[in-house]
Amino acid sequence: MTPTHLPVPPSLPRTVPGEVTAFQVASPDLEAVVRDLGGLRLADMFAAGSDGDATTLRLVWANDTAGQAGYVITETSIENGEYPALSEIAPAAFVEECEIYEQFGIRPASGKPLNRIMLPPHADLPTLGHKPQPEPEEARAPHIVGGQAFEFPFGPVRQVGVESLYYGLVTSGEEVVDLYLFTWHKHRGLEWRLRGKTPEQALFLAERTEGLSAVAVGWALAAAAEAATGTRPPETAQRTRAVALELERLYNHAAAMAALCQATGLAVGQSAAEITLERLLRLNARVFGHRYLFGVIAAGGASRAPDADAITSELPNAYGEFKRTADALLGTNSFVDRLEATGILTEAQARSLGLVGPVARAAGLTADARQVPGAPYGTRVTVATGAAGDVLARFSVMLAEAAESVRLIGEFLREGTAAGVTEVPRTAGTGLGWAESPRGEALAWVALDDDGRITRARLRPASARNWRGFDDACRSQNVFTDIPIIEASFWLTAAGMAR
Amino acid sequence: MTPVTAEELRETIARQFGRSLHIRTLDTGSCAVCEQEIRLLTAPHYDLHRLGFFFTPAPRHADLLLVTGPMIRAFEVAARKTYDAMPGPKVVVATGACALGGVYPADPFTHGTVDAVLPVDVWIPGCPPSPLALLHGLGVAVGKLAEKVRDLPFTAPDDSERTRGDS
Amino acid sequence: MTLWFVRGLRRGVVTTRYPARPDPSAASLPTPPAFRPGQLTAGVADRLVAVCPGGALRRDDRVLVYDVGACAACGRCATEAPHAVTSSGEFELAATARSVLIKRIPLRGEAP
Repeated sequence: MTPTHLPVPPSLPRTVPGEVTAFQVASPDLEAVVRDLGGLRLADMFAAGSDGDATTLRLVWANDTAGQAGYVITETSIENGEYPALSEIAPAAFVEECEIYEQFGIRPASGKPLNRIMLPPHADLPTLGHKPQPEPEEARAPHIVGGQAFEFPFGPVRQVGVESLYYGLVTSGEEVVDLYLFTWHKHRGLEWRLRGKTPEQALFLAERTEGLSAVAVGWALAAAAEAATGTRPPETAQRTRAVALELERLYNHAAAMAALCQATGLAVGQSAAEITLERLLRLNARVFGHRYLFGVIAAGGASRAPDADAITSELPNAYGEFKRTADALLGTNSFVDRLEATGILTEAQARSLGLVGPVARAAGLTADARQVPGAPYGTRVTVATGAAGDVLARFSVMLAEAAESVRLIGEFLREGTAAGVTEVPRTAGTGLGWAESPRGEALAWVALDDDGRITRARLRPASARNWRGFDDACRSQNVFTDIPIIEASFWLTAAGMAR
Repeated sequence: MTPVTAEELRETIARQFGRSLHIRTLDTGSCAVCEQEIRLLTAPHYDLHRLGFFFTPAPRHADLLLVTGPMIRAFEVAARKTYDAMPGPKVVVATGACALGGVYPADPFTHGTVDAVLPVDVWIPGCPPSPLALLHGLGVAVGKLAEKVRDLPFTAPDDSERTRGDS
Repeated sequence: MTLWFVRGLRRGVVTTRYPARPDPSAASLPTPPAFRPGQLTAGVADRLVAVCPGGALRRDDRVLVYDVGACAACGRCATEAPHAVTSSGEFELAATARSVLIKRIPLRGEAP
C-alpha cells in the first residue's frame, strides 16, 4: 500500500470501511492531525528504523462504528530524536511513547518523564533501533508514596499456576490507592526475533507471543503479511480461521469464568466451569489437532481443516453445559454480589485509554475487530456491549459473546471450511493485520524486504493495550480481595504485554 | 549436608514424596498456555489430589518446583530465590518445550533452557504438555511411574503405500 | 448452595482413571514425530532441519539428531516430508536425564 500525500485537515478522509488507508504526515503537522483524528480510537503507535538517523513513527487509528469500521495509519519521519507530545492530547499513547523511547531512543518533546515498560533494568539488551543515550535522572517518572499509604510489592512469583507478574500495590490498609505493573521479566524480545524470518517462519513464534490468543495473534500477523503482498487466502480457509478463532473465544471465556469462580472462592462453580473448559479443550484437540489451536493459521490461509462432524456432535453439548453453569452462577447471589460494582471502568476512561475487547465493550464502547467489513465475518457479527463497566458487565459480555460464537461456528461450517493456502509471494511491502482475540483486538504490522523477509514486525496483542486500564479498574473503591476478581474479568496475560 | 548419590536421592524421594507431594509452580517466561494446563491439574477431569499431590503457594512448604518458560535472564534472580527458599530434599521439574531448550535459543534475552540456572531432575516435553503428560511426569518425578521415553526410538518402518524414490 | 450440590451429583464423576488406566482423550493429543529411516536421505534430512522452527532437528553427518525435549510437535516436518515423517502417538515423554531425549536416527543406508 503506497502512502499518499494528503493535505492536513479539514477535508481529511476518515476511514474507508474494511480498508486500511495510510498517509504521511510531516512532523510539525502531527499534533494537529492527532487532534483532528481524535474521534477515532488510537489503536497502536510504534516506530520503525529507517535510513540513517530518521525513525518512522506510525500511528494506527481505528473506526469502531458498525458499518464504517476500518483503519488509518499515519506515518511520520522523526529526524531529530523528538516528536510532539502526543499523550497530552491522546492519553492512549503514553505507554507506547515509553516503549518507543526504550527501543528507538526518540521521545516526546514535552520532556515529561517516561516509565520503564518493556526492558528490564540493568540489562543491556538488543533493541529495535538506536538505544536511548544514558539518561539524566529525571527521564524516569518519579515514584513517591506518601501520606497514609504504603507500597506493597507483590510478585513476580505469585500464586500457584499463574504467570509471573509484578504488582506495585499502593494501599492505605485494605483499599487500593494505586496499582502499577511490571512485565519486563517476561520480555522475550519477540519483535526483535522476528526480523529476517519469512511470515511462515514467524507464525511459530507469533502464536507463542500470547498462547491463549494463538489463533488471533497468528491471524493478525498472517493477515499483515497478506496485506503487504496482496495475497488473498481462499474463502474456505478464511472461514476455517474464523471457526478456530471462535473456538478460541469459547474456551477463553470458559477459563475466565473458572478464574472468576476461583477469585470469588466459589469452588463448586470453579469445578463446573473447569469441566466445561476441559470439554472445550478436548473438542479443540479433536477438531483441529491441538488443545490450544496452535498451528491452524498458515501464511496465506489455514493449514488444517476442522473436523466438522466433531463440532456438530460435540459443541452443542459442551456449550449447553457452559450455559447451564453460567446461568447457575448468575443465580447465585453471593457470587453476583462480588461482581457487581467491582472494578468499575467508566466509558470515558475506557475511551481515553483506547481499551479493546470485553473490557471496553462492557463500558459501553463498540470496538470489535470482527465488524471490519470483509471476509470472512462480513457484517454478520452482533457485538455484545454492556453499560455498567464493572466485573458483572464484563462477565455478561463474555457470556453473550460465547452464544454468538456458537452461532457463528455453525454458520461458517454450513458455508464450508477447508484447509488451503494461497502462496504468499516473496515481495516487499508493508501491511496491517487484525483479529478479534478473546481479550480484544489483536493487531500486527509487518514490513517485508524484497526477499519477502520481515524487516520490522509489530505485534500488539490485546493485553498490550488493556493492562493500562487495570490500574484504573482496581482503584475505584476496591479492596485487595477484589484484585483477583478484576484480573479474572480482564482475562489478560503478562506474556501478551511483555512479548 | 553429606553429598547424596542419585540413587539415594531417588529412594528418599520415593519414600517421602510418593504419597504426598507439595508443588510450587514457577513461570520463567512462558506464553501462558503451560500455566493453563497446570491449573487444570486440580480440575475435576484430572484431580491431582487423588494422587496425593497438592499445590502450595509457599516455596517453604514445597517439595517440587514445576518450572515453565525459557528462563528469561531478567527473571533469573526471582527463579533462584524461589529455588533457594525451598528446603531439601527437593525436586525440579522443567516442563514444556521452552523450558527444555526448544522455541527460544540462548541469547541476550533468555537462557533458553531452565537447566542453565536450576538443577533439573525431570524434563517433560510438550507444547504445551497436556495435563495427562504432566501427571505422568509428576509420577516419574516421585518414582511411582516408569520412564518410557528412554526406550522409544521415534522411528517407524516405511509406509509401503507411500514409499517414494529419492527426493 | 443446594442447587450446586444437586448439579454436581447429577453431573457425576468425570475424573480420569489415569495413570491407573489409559485415558481415551489421549488419542487426540498432538504427539512428536517418528521418522522413517528408510526415507531419510541427506536431502530430506536437510529439508526437515531447515523447516523445524524450534531447533529440535539437526544433522550430524549420516545421523538425524532429534531432540524430543525441544520439539513442540508443530507438525511442520511431517508436512514437509509426509513420506518420511509420521506421528509417534506417544505423549508420556517425561525423562530423568536430558540426554535420554536426544534421539540419533540413522539416515537411509546407515546401520541403525
